[in-house]
Amino acid sequence: MADTILKFDNVTFRYEGDDAVLPPAVENLSLEIKKGEFVAVLGHNGSGKSTVAKLSNGLIVPESGDVYVLGMNTKNENDDLKIKQTVGVVFQNPDNQIVATIVEEDVAFGPENLGVEPAEIRRRVDESLKIVGMYKYRLHEPHKLSGGQKQRVAIAGIIAMQPQCIVFDEPTAMLDPEGRRDVMNAMKRLNRELGITVVFITHYMEEACEAERIIVMDDSRLVLDGTPMEIFADVNYIRSLGLDVPQTSALAQMLKDDGIKITGDTLSVDGLVNSLAKILDRG
Amino acid sequence: MLKDITIGQYFPLNSVIHRLDPRVKLLYTFVFIIFIVVSNNFVSLAFCVACALAVTFISRVPLKTVIRGLRPILLVIIVTSLLQIIYVKTGVPLISFWKIKITSGGILEAVFITLRISFLIVMSTMLTYTTSPTSMTNGLDRAFSPLTKLGIDFNIVTMIMTIALRFIPTLIEEVDKIISAQKSRGADFESGNIFKRAKMLIPLFVPLLFNSSRRAYELAYAMTCRCYNGGKGKTTMNLLKYKTNDWIATFLTVVFVLGVILLNIKFGEYNAQFTFNAAV
Repeated sequence: MADTILKFDNVTFRYEGDDAVLPPAVENLSLEIKKGEFVAVLGHNGSGKSTVAKLSNGLIVPESGDVYVLGMNTKNENDDLKIKQTVGVVFQNPDNQIVATIVEEDVAFGPENLGVEPAEIRRRVDESLKIVGMYKYRLHEPHKLSGGQKQRVAIAGIIAMQPQCIVFDEPTAMLDPEGRRDVMNAMKRLNRELGITVVFITHYMEEACEAERIIVMDDSRLVLDGTPMEIFADVNYIRSLGLDVPQTSALAQMLKDDGIKITGDTLSVDGLVNSLAKILDRG
Repeated sequence: MLKDITIGQYFPLNSVIHRLDPRVKLLYTFVFIIFIVVSNNFVSLAFCVACALAVTFISRVPLKTVIRGLRPILLVIIVTSLLQIIYVKTGVPLISFWKIKITSGGILEAVFITLRISFLIVMSTMLTYTTSPTSMTNGLDRAFSPLTKLGIDFNIVTMIMTIALRFIPTLIEEVDKIISAQKSRGADFESGNIFKRAKMLIPLFVPLLFNSSRRAYELAYAMTCRCYNGGKGKTTMNLLKYKTNDWIATFLTVVFVLGVILLNIKFGEYNAQFTFNAAV
């Protein structure tokens, strides 16, 4: 248990409607995220995946069940600051996350609130901006940056608080392909070089495939949990959830449907080529 | 197009005045305003004007820009001057027609008032020209931080100012988008009488308000994630420190204050009759 950073224990949550009782946004969700993992949460719109982000550091608390961050229950208000410092959340729209009028002052916002010493804030701000590759823009005004740059500033703002885990709620949804790639790379660096646990919510299949583990949500529930290879083994099921499948998996499935027994890695392009070569060798 | 606006009146240059501590600038502008009002004769007023011009010159903000800053109060200046001309009856009568008598005293009083108001405004616009909104907010925050001890939380006020400054360009961009969206559906923002145009603002402001409240929620979440708790126990990365220039400015302000007081005493209260006679 010691290496579990985030734990959902049979969590149900529903948003408050005006009069009618709304169906739960998340229902009986149980899952565990271990330290250092790179997990993608996949699901189509309205599957409850954004609610998972908000539940993960106590922005909202479950109606029933519990969420634990390093063993601290998010319902316990005394641990509130500590929980938010441990698990940071980056949201979809970078415009609505940047508070200050200068990039470096925005990144400093978190540590300032935590009462960190000025010299240490300066060090963290510079370091965080360098990690996301935005150091040379530190004196710019945020509204003059591109979407991808703004999102990287938002990420730096979270890194500066030195969290152990960052939850990204569709951070690439509003970005152009270039911005999307930059943000993806920043997330991978955080995971590999700083050992930060990354939980990454998305509905882009290609992005999810870059994770070590994928959690699939559908209709407020967790439906699949496994490695990308395990998840995309059943192409028809994934499609029935309203999700895309990678082109490689789709091709493998078409071959299977035609009676060709294809085994091994069918997810990466190289893997699929190897698998196909084996079949061809066999004649 | 609207995206490139600069917020406030900040005129980004790198002069000595620009680099002064914002607290120093705030306080000394205030001192200047008090003493230009206190100055009671032409000599001390001239001294104030000279000081304001010196500051303008050192800041390297073009004089034209500074004068343009007076435009909004032009009407105030004209009206007050006219009132002085009509109602002040001291000095030598110059022209009289109908019920109005214009005297030399009235004209001198009008000139005096015009100079006083104009340079009061010039000096306060100098503050906004040479201080970026961010450093102004920072300065206000530090200047009013002692109030926290009295239970007045100024931190929230500066937070509101910062967020307002931060979101002005974002909202302008959004207005742009909404205008384009409504135009593409055939909305006409440019023609018609004033009532028709005012009515056209409804399809602009309703979506803007709606989106803003959604933004507000998301911003609140993002700020909570970054441990914002109303500024309790907050530290600041960029500490404001008084530098040599700030002490020089302090010294010069003291000289200015003493100058105005001495000139006021030496030349006494301005008297139109006396001044005119002396001039003749």
